[in-house]
Amino acid sequence: MNLHFRSQPARGIAVVSALALALTGCGRGDAGGDAAAGAASPGITDTTLTLGMTTPLSGSTAGPGTCTVAGVTAYFGMKNAEGGIQFGDGKTRTVEIDALDDAYDPQKAKANYDQLKNEVFAMTAGLGTPTNRAWRDAAIADEVPQVLIMTGDPLFSDTDQSPWQLGFVPKYQNEGQAFGELLASSGEAHKVAILSQNDDYGEGYVEGFKSAVEGAANIEIVDELTYEATDTSVDAQITELSASGADVLFNAMSVVPLVVSSLQKAQQLNWKPSWFLPSNTSSPAGVLEPGGGAAFPGIYSVSFAKAPASPASASDEDVQTYLQALKEYGDYPDSPAFPHCQWSWMVGATLEQAFTAMTEPTREAFMTALRGISGFEAPLMLPGTSVDTTQAGQPAVSTVVVQKYNGTGYDTVEAFE
Amino acid sequence: MARAMDAPAPSSRQRPWLRWAGPLLLVVALAVLPLVLAEGTNQTLARIGVFAVAVLGLNVVMGYTGQVSLGQIFFLGLGAYVTAYGVTHDWNIVLVFLLACLLPAVVGLLVALAAARLGGLAIAMVTIALPIVGVPLAKRLGDLTGGSQGLSARFADAPEGTPLYDDQWQLYVVLVIGGIVFLLTRSLVRGKYGRAFAIVKGNEAVASSMGISPYRYKVLAFTIASLIGGVSGFLYMLVIQYTSPETMTFGHSIQLVAAMVIGGAGSIVGSVLGGAYYVLVPQLTNLVDPSLTALLQGALLLIVLFVLPGGLVSLPRALTRGRRRSHTGGGPAAPPTPPTSPSSTARSGTAADEPETERQGQV
Repeated sequence: MNLHFRSQPARGIAVVSALALALTGCGRGDAGGDAAAGAASPGITDTTLTLGMTTPLSGSTAGPGTCTVAGVTAYFGMKNAEGGIQFGDGKTRTVEIDALDDAYDPQKAKANYDQLKNEVFAMTAGLGTPTNRAWRDAAIADEVPQVLIMTGDPLFSDTDQSPWQLGFVPKYQNEGQAFGELLASSGEAHKVAILSQNDDYGEGYVEGFKSAVEGAANIEIVDELTYEATDTSVDAQITELSASGADVLFNAMSVVPLVVSSLQKAQQLNWKPSWFLPSNTSSPAGVLEPGGGAAFPGIYSVSFAKAPASPASASDEDVQTYLQALKEYGDYPDSPAFPHCQWSWMVGATLEQAFTAMTEPTREAFMTALRGISGFEAPLMLPGTSVDTTQAGQPAVSTVVVQKYNGTGYDTVEAFE
Repeated sequence: MARAMDAPAPSSRQRPWLRWAGPLLLVVALAVLPLVLAEGTNQTLARIGVFAVAVLGLNVVMGYTGQVSLGQIFFLGLGAYVTAYGVTHDWNIVLVFLLACLLPAVVGLLVALAAARLGGLAIAMVTIALPIVGVPLAKRLGDLTGGSQGLSARFADAPEGTPLYDDQWQLYVVLVIGGIVFLLTRSLVRGKYGRAFAIVKGNEAVASSMGISPYRYKVLAFTIASLIGGVSGFLYMLVIQYTSPETMTFGHSIQLVAAMVIGGAGSIVGSVLGGAYYVLVPQLTNLVDPSLTALLQGALLLIVLFVLPGGLVSLPRALTRGRRRSHTGGGPAAPPTPPTSPSSTARSGTAADEPETERQGQV
């Protein structure tokens, strides 16, 4: 009995002493600080390059999150199978993706970043504003590229504040502005009702839209309401807006179930305006079909990516290659349900542009090369849009085209009908 | 309680050096380890410290006082927001720390004054409201909280003149603040207040008959839990350096409760294990398959609860019991089993008796 009591703490102490001694011997190697000029950055060898990602793969945003991994993985999977990518320094490298799940939790995103930063060359393509903001400061301090990420937050496209960052998708303002310009140029008088999410997302859209219709005599904003992203119903707002007599509803909403229910509510009220919906909540299969979008005279959205589901792109060579690669290398056998799959594929193509232009295997050289791409029509891009990383204060893609729902998919339109 | 604590006493008396050598070695180990461990390990340890403190607070109200609280993450979030606001406005860091403790404590006190009047599950219902209200509140009060874009605050870089790396400095701060909170809580739950909490948990009528007001002690426990939650929020900002409404979503509150149960309810060491579970399991499941993290975490939760219903903290006891059983079967000279009844009092006694060895296992 005594033996038992005595031995347990004693054993513990012995173990700890041994552990402490062993660890003191190790000391600390390179803590991942600045590499000497010219020396290769972490995550790159003469034959491989590793990219890191933190993105939601579980939880409510898992759908788009999974797409952000699938697209870029498929792109580089295809390139690797062709033998790799010829870099600007003359070496040919294969590109691997190391993606981790953050469940849309900023804390986990930061943890994933900490885990990856000394093993990957750059972080890319992750989805989410808070989850990218959580480690933005750290990425700047560590000088780790955080590029072509999937958030419309303008902060990431501000070179002064975010020297190691670059957003990929258009800012919210870009989208609202594109629709506003189309509406203002229609020449007809329109009454517009605005419903927006009460945060930076909704404000961005409304700001872009208002800047475009400012001074247009034919556009009158008759009513403007907001809702909270956590609300479970916007029936009250739709009812109130329907009384405004507006013939256009500008709906800056990021929550898919709410968009569906607001489409249904408007039909119940027999209010049939033309709609504007943001690019991430205007999916034909996910939003417009369940919401009965065909009942309205027009549903407009903006896009810069070809929709694989639409009949127009079924024979498109880009789309064929993409769908094939997504199945074969992206571990995504279904038809892509979110545009993030296509966006992520374009991220792959844009990264390749930067890789072929970078002359040294360093993060600095990569950032320089990445910021020098202009007029690049990435695969799957719609005519009239392109990747341009040289514009100050703008994400890699800042041009969008307005599209109209045709009952099954979207067609690009030149004018508001 | 008294019986369980008396049991190991003879050995400590026989070998007084053991009584001090253990804690001393622990302190030495904690002081040395940050210097020798890799950067990533230090950061992970610091995160474990943050959530261990949050789970500890939850343990005060749930594990020790038996009141279900599903709102602990709200107090962490509140502490984090207060810290972020103070730091971005260049307030003195000590003042910021005090406010990050005080404000959640005051809010906790106000909520508890109302909630503790209700019995049993009604308290749980009231606490559910906290994170549910907290998220939209944080989004709406954009001037204070930065709205849905959140607040960044980087204030924990190693001070000029020290030879420490940032991660080492942060881990030391977490260890010192967290260590103090753990020591204070340990004294609290082992002293007169802890006994009162235990009686309130066991039977409120008995508590009243002994002159212990269940209402007052429930309010006290809840307020202390909120205060500790505020401390963990301060540490959260120190380590993660960013907070947004997503920080305090309801799901995280449930995960904290799960972490507490898995670590070991009503146990100081269990709180550390719970914090480790909260931080390490997502990382672990990410290594296995990043697209299956939720599924794997659920499976792991079920396995732990089936195999170790007392939480991870009961693992050593379960092992020794198993070993003893096999001894009894094989050899004739089985030692008489010491009084380790599976009652909750004995568990907290055993747990408090051997924090050193188990925490070393964690570190």
